[in-house]
Amino acid sequence: MLLMTASQIRGLPVVTVDGGEDVAEVRDVIYSPEAGRLVGVTLNKRGFLGGRSRDVLPAEAIHAIGQDAVMVLDESNLVAPEDAPEDVGHPATERNVLEDDILTEGGASLGKVADLVLLVGSSGEVVGYQIDKAGGGRGYIPLPAQLSVSGVALVVPNITEEFVQDDLVGLGAAVDEFRTRLGLT
Amino acid sequence: MDAIGWLILVVIVLVVAAVAFVVIRRRRRGGGVIATKDKG
Repeated sequence: MLLMTASQIRGLPVVTVDGGEDVAEVRDVIYSPEAGRLVGVTLNKRGFLGGRSRDVLPAEAIHAIGQDAVMVLDESNLVAPEDAPEDVGHPATERNVLEDDILTEGGASLGKVADLVLLVGSSGEVVGYQIDKAGGGRGYIPLPAQLSVSGVALVVPNITEEFVQDDLVGLGAAVDEFRTRLGLT
Repeated sequence: MDAIGWLILVVIVLVVAAVAFVVIRRRRRGGGVIATKDKG
């Protein structure tokens, strides 16, 4: 298992286990804030000027995500939007969380969303957000932190402020404690 | 237009083309982190 940010996953080649072919490139990372997991990715065509590919890749069809490639068993795992779950086939691009304001339910700003942190390998669990702190510098907040998410703001419980971590190592421990405090475990 | 003038024109055209190329490429490749609608 490996902690990666969504930005590290975007742009990775999609490679088949079957033939070792480089069939696409990751464009958007789509996740469920409620379930705390990756639900799929949209794709770019390969090549220097390759634009958006029509096909998408649901999370169930991903064999593994590594630091250098997203692995699928074969090219048939890339599916047309109508054959994919609705959230993956027709992603709500207006719900891009990058640069979202992070507000506590009490109305205090914690900063802006800089990235999404995932535990990858054979699954894709979302463990938290990387943030640009309101006071400057980078930090991390654990998931499930948000009460609501849109393309504009992420609203989090007031106690989230106590769980802002300065590094990824601290985030791992904070996730468990945070979930316990919220009564989720 | 003398040789210097042509040279400046060529450099300007090349710079504009390079900037346009980079911008178009970034827009085509795009990408983001999208939340599903099960919250909010």
